[in-house]
Amino acid sequence: MVLAVRIGLPRGLLYYQYGLVWENFLRELGAEVVVAGDTTKATLDHGSVLDEVCLPVKVYFGHVYELYKKVDYLFSPRVISVAAGQYTCPKIIGMPDMLRSNIDNLPPVINVNVNLRQNNRSLYEAIVSVGRTLGRGAIPSLYAWYRAWKHRHQLPTAYQSDIKRQRIGLIGHSYIIYDRQISMNIINKLRDIGFDVITPEMVSNRQATAAAKVLGKKIFWSNSHHMAGAALALMQSAQPVNGLIFMTSFSCGPDALIGELINQRAQSLNIPCLLLTVDEHTAEAGFITRLEAFTDMLVRRKRS
Amino acid sequence: MIISFPHMGALSIVLQALFTSLGRKVILPPAISKRTLELGVKYSPEAVCLPFKITLGNFIEALDQGANTIVTCGGVGPCRLGYYAEVQKGILQGLGYEFEMIIIEPNLVNIINNVHRIAPKHSLREIYSAFRLALAKMNALDSIQRKVQTVRPREITRGASDALWKTAMDEINTADTIPALRTAWYDAEHKLDQEVKLKAGVNPLRIGVVGEIYVMLEPFVNLDLVRRLGQMGVEVHTTMQLSNYVNGHLFRKSEYLELFKHLTNLARPYLGHYVGGHGLKSIAYTVHMGQQNYDGMIHVFPFTCMPEVVAKNILPKVSNDVNIPVLSLAYDEQSGEAGVVTRLEAFIDLLEYRRSTNTY
Repeated sequence: MVLAVRIGLPRGLLYYQYGLVWENFLRELGAEVVVAGDTTKATLDHGSVLDEVCLPVKVYFGHVYELYKKVDYLFSPRVISVAAGQYTCPKIIGMPDMLRSNIDNLPPVINVNVNLRQNNRSLYEAIVSVGRTLGRGAIPSLYAWYRAWKHRHQLPTAYQSDIKRQRIGLIGHSYIIYDRQISMNIINKLRDIGFDVITPEMVSNRQATAAAKVLGKKIFWSNSHHMAGAALALMQSAQPVNGLIFMTSFSCGPDALIGELINQRAQSLNIPCLLLTVDEHTAEAGFITRLEAFTDMLVRRKRS
Repeated sequence: MIISFPHMGALSIVLQALFTSLGRKVILPPAISKRTLELGVKYSPEAVCLPFKITLGNFIEALDQGANTIVTCGGVGPCRLGYYAEVQKGILQGLGYEFEMIIIEPNLVNIINNVHRIAPKHSLREIYSAFRLALAKMNALDSIQRKVQTVRPREITRGASDALWKTAMDEINTADTIPALRTAWYDAEHKLDQEVKLKAGVNPLRIGVVGEIYVMLEPFVNLDLVRRLGQMGVEVHTTMQLSNYVNGHLFRKSEYLELFKHLTNLARPYLGHYVGGHGLKSIAYTVHMGQQNYDGMIHVFPFTCMPEVVAKNILPKVSNDVNIPVLSLAYDEQSGEAGVVTRLEAFIDLLEYRRSTNTY
């Protein structure tokens, strides 16, 4: 019996958007996929090897650290761009290199370039290249991708709203707000207090892009473009959200500018906006206090 | 239309020449000071990088002095610089300023349109000669500055070359024709060669400076790094000058494209793709200068700068492989002189020790 190749898939960064597709794809190609577990304190400790990077990058690094000895390959594609004229963030682009420079004896990294800035060809090249690494031809690889893509669905893509409940727009990168360790489980906390939570994933691309048109210049980071668009859509709709929480990680580059844009807009529309910044030192008690102060304010505001 | 623009080292001389010869009135923002920094920090988002804050301070001070048009640059990412102008515009409008913002995007159509906006009545020939003068000033300043950096560690009288540099800047600033500029240029270089008395038999440490261009070129921001090192007896080679940037990124001159290709190859084993800003060059020049037996590298960047943070996390490996010490300095509004000087002194001690023991 031939043992399947074991490929490690870190649970961090773009995993929250594309992880399931990647996992399906690698399985279709006959590999055994090992996904790192949930983020823990230990993950953060390992990730602190890196200097001055944001928390999600440290988390990603921590996941790799926990995985790399257990697998034959590490799947960490270099995702440069996922849409025309846009980029991901520089740290995501440089991630495979930061891994290589900071972990000795790393297993071979599958770090194919995905760059859809100018056209889609690079995606197909990447698919074929991954297939070839695993000893598969071009056609089976593309077919595997097709099947993986067909079965994608992971983050919630629609929301139902109860008219009686207040609605909060929770704006942040999916790798922050859906990582329970980083986000301190904010989504459930807000729901427990009695709020409906709307995240950027629940706003369609079309809506977000339309709303982002009010900005003078198109945002060139994909995630930020969608986040800003979603925030604007939630604020400018006929039934705007009651409040907005912008959740970011300390030293996130794009967010420093996007947060400001969103805050400017929220102020002019008179929608309360809370900026929550987290890093590995954020304590849960202080975090909850701020959250409660904000939600209490929203409740009082509605009553008066 | 009264034009102003942000400061970055000697850039103001170049841009002032350009806009004045295009027939526009220019108000320079006051030289960057504590006040500029305070204004910028006060109205900027907290977590944004230092150049954003200081250029915002420049804009506020210039608008207060009567400028009504700001010329600044755009960009297409992924470095944050490309989105500065959009956010800064919103902040300034929120503060109640009335002004026009001309954002120069890196594409030819946009540049032509904007030049037309600034100088609607000028013929192509006049525009060409305005650009020619401005660019000649840029080349002159860069060339003289390179010379100053070689002379400074060797001069007997401390400050002799700096005095000449100051005079040269003034003369270049006032030169309004190409011949006048050439005279000022050659005069300055000649004086640097002839008039500054040099110590005999010194072999200064050679340090390459890599990193982000704004921090590298603006002495207020880098706490006068280049002059300080020179006066500590170090020959400094700054890897990014204005002319490199303009010739490489705007004119895409073939020699610079060749150079960039070469640098990309040098960086490839460590950083396989462009990450915005100058991150790739920081890696590449460290490899390059390590191979050329430089004594050390100093890597400067604004705190939280995304491309350079990627570089910073890779540089220890590069440093180890090519056997060249690297000191990384991240600057923000809290950077203090004493801290930086201490680190520089320690670094120089290390480099001298390495030299004396010949461990490389």
